[in-house]
Amino acid sequence: MSTDTPSADPASVGPASGTAAMVALPLSPAGLFYVVFFGIPMLSLLVVSFWRAQGFDLIPDISLANYQKIMGSALYRGILLRTVGIGLVTAAIIVPVAFALAYLMRFVFERRGQFILQLILVSLFSGYLVRIYAWRTILGKQGLLNSALQWLGLIDAPLPFLIYSNIAVVVTLTGLLLPLAVLPLYSAMLNVPRDHLEAARDLGAGRLHLLRTVLLPMVMPGVRTAFAFAFLLAAGDYVTPSLVGGAQSLMIGNIIADQFRGTGANWPLGAALAFVVVAVTLILYLAVMRLIGWVTRW
Amino acid sequence: MVRATKWLPAAFVVLVLTYLYAPIAVIVIFSFTTSPRLSLPIEGFTLDWYARSLDNPLIPIALQNTAILALISAIVAGLLGAAFAFGLVRLQHARVRTTLLAASLLPAIVPLLVIGIALAVFFRTLGLQQGLIDAAIGHVLVSLPFVVLTVNARLETFDFSVLEAARDLGATRFQAFRDITFPLIRPSVLGAALLAAALSLDEFVVTWFNIGNQQTLPVLVWGLMRRGIDPSINAIATILLAALVGLVVISNLLNRKTPS
Repeated sequence: MSTDTPSADPASVGPASGTAAMVALPLSPAGLFYVVFFGIPMLSLLVVSFWRAQGFDLIPDISLANYQKIMGSALYRGILLRTVGIGLVTAAIIVPVAFALAYLMRFVFERRGQFILQLILVSLFSGYLVRIYAWRTILGKQGLLNSALQWLGLIDAPLPFLIYSNIAVVVTLTGLLLPLAVLPLYSAMLNVPRDHLEAARDLGAGRLHLLRTVLLPMVMPGVRTAFAFAFLLAAGDYVTPSLVGGAQSLMIGNIIADQFRGTGANWPLGAALAFVVVAVTLILYLAVMRLIGWVTRW
Repeated sequence: MVRATKWLPAAFVVLVLTYLYAPIAVIVIFSFTTSPRLSLPIEGFTLDWYARSLDNPLIPIALQNTAILALISAIVAGLLGAAFAFGLVRLQHARVRTTLLAASLLPAIVPLLVIGIALAVFFRTLGLQQGLIDAAIGHVLVSLPFVVLTVNARLETFDFSVLEAARDLGATRFQAFRDITFPLIRPSVLGAALLAAALSLDEFVVTWFNIGNQQTLPVLVWGLMRRGIDPSINAIATILLAALVGLVVISNLLNRKTPS
């Protein structure tokens, strides 16, 4: 899934005879689709974030009022902070686990790597809503985990914190996004020659040293993509907190969704909120990447 | 020597896979149990929830819309994405190629919520009513990156020298494409199209903000879920799951069947 993994250069051995028109022709339909239905909508979202809402009407304007409202509100700031926190915690669980799994698939269970990959792909596509709903039935007050623990006599009363809590949100998001994070990491590991690691070990590199200075730099593109998937998509999810999170674990996505399909809809405010989240998560993403970069260059 | 120490890594892999598959197992198992409560111990098994879920008057229309959207995604995203990937490998400049590839993958890392509301805003400023067409466009958009990625991966290992050989032997550009390139990449294009269908089948967030009052299977499931625990959800979810897993497995098989 990583875009920057090195690969053979097909164009150099490829159809060098292609004229500009021959190249542009297959690119243009999808290119046009991306511009019209992705580029322009994202721009119109940005434009509308400077508008005002009057009832259900949108009034064109060039005002920062929505952004000021967000920054000035302790409620929004708090929810934004929680969103980023849940995103970071989720990514902090997902990336190391996915890293370890991809490492084992590549270097320890090499022959079964492809099979494990297929299992992970199937789980990834096994229903977004279905999996969130399933976690609710597992974690619920009278759910599977609580009833199993009670049945076994390990607890007397249901553990209340299992559902409608930040923990429930993190557990569910981890299950949803872990498969996606394994893909770029595994494909990055496939590009690491086994003898590189062995050579470093023969030269006396310790395990941690090996990980930090040899393996990590080589799979960095995969780590970057995995972290982007885990963090950006966790922070942007709103179905999970609305089904397994309680009133105390609302995320910014819930507030945005309410601005578009709720009773007190306010599209311009929702648009501004969306850009604030995107900006904040993007800045944090870059900061974390910097940090990991420093650690590997020590 | 290594064998003895392998149980710990093996346990880790099994643990992670259990974590991923536990929710799926729960849904399937409890779609067949008699107790409306999703709790242990299990009392007995029944097919009642399937019968009851099919009684839902919204099911036929939801199924129909879901099928229409999946078909549109498969065909449109399949064609546009495959053509795009084909154009990509023909680009001479590696920089331009990787930049375009990265740009085409952007919709996969922008949260679906943001894509959903951006499309809703766009369609509304155009004065378009929310409905199936809006949702279809959203489905094609979220499927495209995965089609591009799949077909691109196949084409990067494609041996273009066969094409040159064909051209040297007098085949026209069209003939070479029809007789050589297309048959070789057909399985992976088909696989990518099925992947697009699976993504569409499962798509909820973008759909929710653009489809208005129409139903799809995920929209229906969402409505039921909001109302609380209803075992017929497990039955509908299991049917959806079976369709999804079927599509993904066939798609994977097609992608692996790579004639060299």
